[in-house]
Amino acid sequence: MADVKMVNLTVEGRAISVPDGTSILEAAKAAGVLVPHYCYHPGLPVAGVCRMCLVEVEKAPKLAPSCATSVAEGQVVHVHSPKALEARKGVLEMLLINHPLDCPICDQSGECELQDYTYQEGRAEGRYRDPKRFNPVEDFGGDVIYVANRCILCTRCVRFMDDVAHDPVLTVAERGDRALIGKFEGQDLTHAWAGNVIDLCPVGALLSKDSLNKVRTWELDRSASVCPNCSQGCNMIVETRDNQVVRLRPRPNAQVNEYFMCDHGRLNYRWMNRKDRVEIPMVRQAGVLASADWEVALRAAASVLAGNRAFVLASPNLSNEALFLLGRLVGRSGGAGAFRVPQGSEAPLPGVDDLALRADRAANGRGAELLGFARNDAPLSGLGAGDVLVIADEELAEVDAADAAKAGAVIVIGTTLPAWARHAANVVLPIANCTEEEGTFTNLRGRVQRFLQAKAAPGIARPSYFVLGDLLAAMGDGSGYWTAGQTFDAMTAAVPAFAGLSYDRLGLRGAMIAGAMSEVGA
Amino acid sequence: MTHSEMGGVRAPGDVAHAEHGSYTPVFTGERRKELDELFTRYPTKMATLLPALWIVQEERGWVSSEGMAEVAELLELTPAYVKGVVTFYTMYHQHPVGRHFIQVCTTSPCNVCGAEDVVNALLRHTGCEELGVTSPDGKYTVIEVECLGACGFNTPLMVNEKFIESVTPATVPALLASLG
Amino acid sequence: MGFPHTPHERETLVLSKYFGDTDAIGLDGWRKRGGYVALEQALKMTPAEIVGIVKESGLRGRGGAGFPTGVKWSFMKPGDGKPHYLCCNADESEPGTFKDREIMRWTPHALVEGCAIGAYAIGAEVAYVYIRGEYTEALDKMNAACKEAYAAGILGTNAMGTGKTVHVYVHKGAGAYICGEETALMNSLEGRRGNPRIKPPFPAVAGLFGQPTTINNVETLVAVPHILTNGAEWYKKFGRPDNPKSTGTKLFSVCGNIQKPGNYEVTLGFPFKDFLYDLCGGPLPGRQFKAIIPGGISVPIQTREEAENTPMDYEGFVANGTMLGSGGVIIIDDAQNLVKQIARAARFFAHESCAQCTQCREGTAWTTKILERIVAGDGTHEDLDTLLEIGENMTGKTICVLSDSCATPVTSGIQKFRGDFEALIKRKKVHMVPAQVA
Repeated sequence: MADVKMVNLTVEGRAISVPDGTSILEAAKAAGVLVPHYCYHPGLPVAGVCRMCLVEVEKAPKLAPSCATSVAEGQVVHVHSPKALEARKGVLEMLLINHPLDCPICDQSGECELQDYTYQEGRAEGRYRDPKRFNPVEDFGGDVIYVANRCILCTRCVRFMDDVAHDPVLTVAERGDRALIGKFEGQDLTHAWAGNVIDLCPVGALLSKDSLNKVRTWELDRSASVCPNCSQGCNMIVETRDNQVVRLRPRPNAQVNEYFMCDHGRLNYRWMNRKDRVEIPMVRQAGVLASADWEVALRAAASVLAGNRAFVLASPNLSNEALFLLGRLVGRSGGAGAFRVPQGSEAPLPGVDDLALRADRAANGRGAELLGFARNDAPLSGLGAGDVLVIADEELAEVDAADAAKAGAVIVIGTTLPAWARHAANVVLPIANCTEEEGTFTNLRGRVQRFLQAKAAPGIARPSYFVLGDLLAAMGDGSGYWTAGQTFDAMTAAVPAFAGLSYDRLGLRGAMIAGAMSEVGA
Repeated sequence: MTHSEMGGVRAPGDVAHAEHGSYTPVFTGERRKELDELFTRYPTKMATLLPALWIVQEERGWVSSEGMAEVAELLELTPAYVKGVVTFYTMYHQHPVGRHFIQVCTTSPCNVCGAEDVVNALLRHTGCEELGVTSPDGKYTVIEVECLGACGFNTPLMVNEKFIESVTPATVPALLASLG
Repeated sequence: MGFPHTPHERETLVLSKYFGDTDAIGLDGWRKRGGYVALEQALKMTPAEIVGIVKESGLRGRGGAGFPTGVKWSFMKPGDGKPHYLCCNADESEPGTFKDREIMRWTPHALVEGCAIGAYAIGAEVAYVYIRGEYTEALDKMNAACKEAYAAGILGTNAMGTGKTVHVYVHKGAGAYICGEETALMNSLEGRRGNPRIKPPFPAVAGLFGQPTTINNVETLVAVPHILTNGAEWYKKFGRPDNPKSTGTKLFSVCGNIQKPGNYEVTLGFPFKDFLYDLCGGPLPGRQFKAIIPGGISVPIQTREEAENTPMDYEGFVANGTMLGSGGVIIIDDAQNLVKQIARAARFFAHESCAQCTQCREGTAWTTKILERIVAGDGTHEDLDTLLEIGENMTGKTICVLSDSCATPVTSGIQKFRGDFEALIKRKKVHMVPAQVA
């Protein structure tokens, strides 16, 4: 990119140099100045219609829409000059004249850009005293509901469905102040990625039926995470209230999911709040599975494993760290490991390169492979008679349970205890799920990405890497995997596929494994 | 606005203005040929959208949802897109109108010359009583229209595709009689 | 159908010479009147030569902006390997303007010829004539003229036997004032909502179907054959001797409260007072002109005293605080409720706003509501200040100028006729409209 011409300009007195063709709005962002805007979104084509991003450019006759105006050499831009502020105040007043001002009952309240900018730059009170426009609420199908009265006609939703989803089911209908977002009767927002219009809507006009009236946004706690619902690895934010996951939203990552997340991913969160979790370690004593403390349970598990071949059936939703440690368990006993991946139909988002809801409905199949686990739809086929079967968070159904019968012993390391295992398990070690611990996943293209803890695990369940580290220590493999970071770094040292990566340097955008670069876009 | 005014939620699939009974396609025979000829005039099929909608309206008197869907399919567009276009332009009827659709210009240049009196005379003599409401006999619909571009010949009006100039309240009865 | 008035001796008939002459409508009659001689001549010239002559003539766009036509054409680069397009803007929808309609009704072949020459001059093989849907008669006449021209070999892939391709297609609009804005017209022609586009890119770079495009008004294009036949020098002679920037003849549409409304063709620079009183017969018996809007409803409104001393050309109107615009002269006399008419103008713009830009979508409707409330007797003095501030917010801040156009009559109306507004406010009804907090 060395041949890109750079342009020098000043924004609010700050000198900045950006590539030629950059918009003033993006240049200002780079200079640390947010120009208020509604219709502009970096993931969508420029519309230039809300007129909120007007800024003053010295020597220009009129205020410039900063989203639609390219930078020019020597430009001097004023975002907060009286003229620019006055213009934006005018836009805000106009946007509010027909707005119902129903913030107290609006889901968007607290994360509403109309509220934010009005608070920052708007008039203290409006001057409108005529009747307001009224349109009924409309069900757009899918997860989306349209509250027309709050709509500011920014057209982000229309542009997303048209230019990104390539499924133009939304349109601006009518004109003048009668205009509203419309769809064709009988054709709904059923596209697999349609839910993004809810995030894109800067106001409370497009709402999720799933989270309708559920929480006030200021009650939410937010953590950076990675979607575990398929192998794409979309970056996301887990939003919790009172230790319950209530909403998943995309977190921008240009390398993976741009600004988007599919409906399957965003709505498939209820399992994260399961109530039937194992909360306390259990050990079978005198034929009865009974609660035990961690020390006892770990010792029991270690003794079951001692001298036996371990066969590990791992969930592809376990972190790289957990899978690495499980791999060590397999390696030191000369055993084997396998996993299987639930399947669904693939649903691409055509406007973004290499972004799709993947057929593999698990986050870390790639990681499992790299860490030595064999992908197998009949995962217990490799189980030898008398092996210790380690079920690592796999929901082994009854139908497969018959195959498990030849195991010499069964250890369950998981978030739940399947019904069949109540009779079969010798030891049960409860672990946190991926929203309750930190760790990394490797997506289908080999991108290793960190997820952070969003809520507390139930009972005395512990992070997976911590439990496995303790178990290995109890077996004499005591290299001290006390944190996810230590475990990760041990993995990069031990497994060539991950060589060169560092937990700290992954940041929140992730990094590609060596050798994966050439596969990108293949 | 009160909460009760929020009203019910319109369910998806509500058909606002559907034609009764089964829909017969417009673009068959000569009309299809006409559209194919139009395709040769433009580099994109989309560019024939306005002319194609005109053909639907000429054939059916209005543009129904089914009509929009038919045009969408022929032009490789989505019905929602077509709806956005139809609702932008005021001359496409989105519901059936009276046999004589009367559009009276009442924009300022005609307004200063008494266009509103012409409108009132028309409402009275057609029995429509209200703008946009079809007369009980189904013969007339009268609407106000923005500038017809005949400002020197006020008051101008259109009856369907026919342009009539210099209408006054006094000439309204004779005009209506001439329509039959 | 209304026939034109008998021409006044002080008119200069170039474009309107055959208005009212039914024989001029058909191809044979048109040829007898010298039709298509200019096209034949043009097709033997190089495009650059044509552009040069038009540039030299000083012809400026007759749609409203007044941009020099030859200069606009020179932005097009024939031979750049891209398809070029000419769009003829026949969407004439500026209230008060009805000149293009008369051109197409009486001399459709003049426009076909103008389009063909224009297309050739800018390296386009296709010209689209975008005619507003309400102009049913003009549409019929233009369709018939094109059909005749194709049948006679004037248009087509071997235009006038020269082997050159010139197509002229008529495209029917469907009811949208904004489609008279050139980028909205292009969107409409492409089968989209008639939303104006952000500029740049300018049409000469990426216009219709993303290709280099020129948009010209009907009256501009029909002037071109005359310029080619008679020469640039001939055309330049029409106009004020002291203002070489405005040349040629111009059709002015006159309507409202005046004795003889109609289309008048005069040389640019003609004295407005003579025009109003001599040519158009002055006010109706017993009345006086109160307000005059000289260039279509989008330009600043003027008092009679202000307007009367204007030379009727681009510079003359601007110097006097208004604009020539489309040449649609609207007269409002002292028997009218001026505020009601300004409210009516605002309602027009509210109806026609494309809904893209916030200030226009909301501002036009808000302005209308306030004005109609004032007319109904529920206005306040604060409303006038609010109107002026809304007007300020609607000016110079949107993609196109529809928003500005709505603010113009309101702002200039309040500035010049404040007394009319205040009289209505003072006569206020006793009951109060409950104020809704916005």
